[in-house]
Amino acid sequence: MILDILGVAALVFGLFFCAVGVLGVVRLPDSLTRLHASGKVATLGLFGLLVGAALLMPSAWLRLLALGLFVLLTSPVATHAIAASVYRRREIVEELAETHSSAAAADATAVDVTGVLSRSRIQDIIEAQERALRHHKPKA
Amino acid sequence: MIESAWAQAAIQLILLALVSLLVPASYRVIVGPTLPDRLGAVDLITTLLIGIIVMLALVESTQTFVDMAIALAAFAFIGTISIARYISEGRVF
Repeated sequence: MILDILGVAALVFGLFFCAVGVLGVVRLPDSLTRLHASGKVATLGLFGLLVGAALLMPSAWLRLLALGLFVLLTSPVATHAIAASVYRRREIVEELAETHSSAAAADATAVDVTGVLSRSRIQDIIEAQERALRHHKPKA
Repeated sequence: MIESAWAQAAIQLILLALVSLLVPASYRVIVGPTLPDRLGAVDLITTLLIGIIVMLALVESTQTFVDMAIALAAFAFIGTISIARYISEGRVF
């Protein structure tokens, strides 16, 4: 009975943090702040659910502990990889805007919306633009 | 396994709430302006799915569902890492 009460309380705690994290992912204005919100779901929300499940179903506590340890190890690594990709893309676009024409940066953001943005692809865009500029004689 | 009826009802309500949380998360997958946004939202959806599978294990009082949740966590980690590296580096390895 007391285990049931404690377990349901932990489940409600976890559900609250899941709801807050999903709300943050939908409402926050920026990629990095959205990642911050989704990290709360992976740690606090899921851990509340796992502790509640372990209290309600005590025979499965070892599997739940293994799942919790695995998520605790892997979720920050995954979030860090996504955040590094956000930072890297911003860096590339800013570099383009500084060193090349703003048209190249606009091209890069167009690529950014539809597909994968990599250094080699940016280099391809820049080279194609320079080739086009060399062959195109502007009418003075 | 869980005797009291109110605890069963509470578990089923929490499961329903977790499933309904998937809808706003998939909104971010569809709308998200950049590729890392979508990837982060997919990662969030897999985290929610792990929670849903654990709640299903409670409802059915079957421990085997927890093993499925562990497998899902492992595959989601590998997928997220490789797609994030592919986005930022242009290659996986």
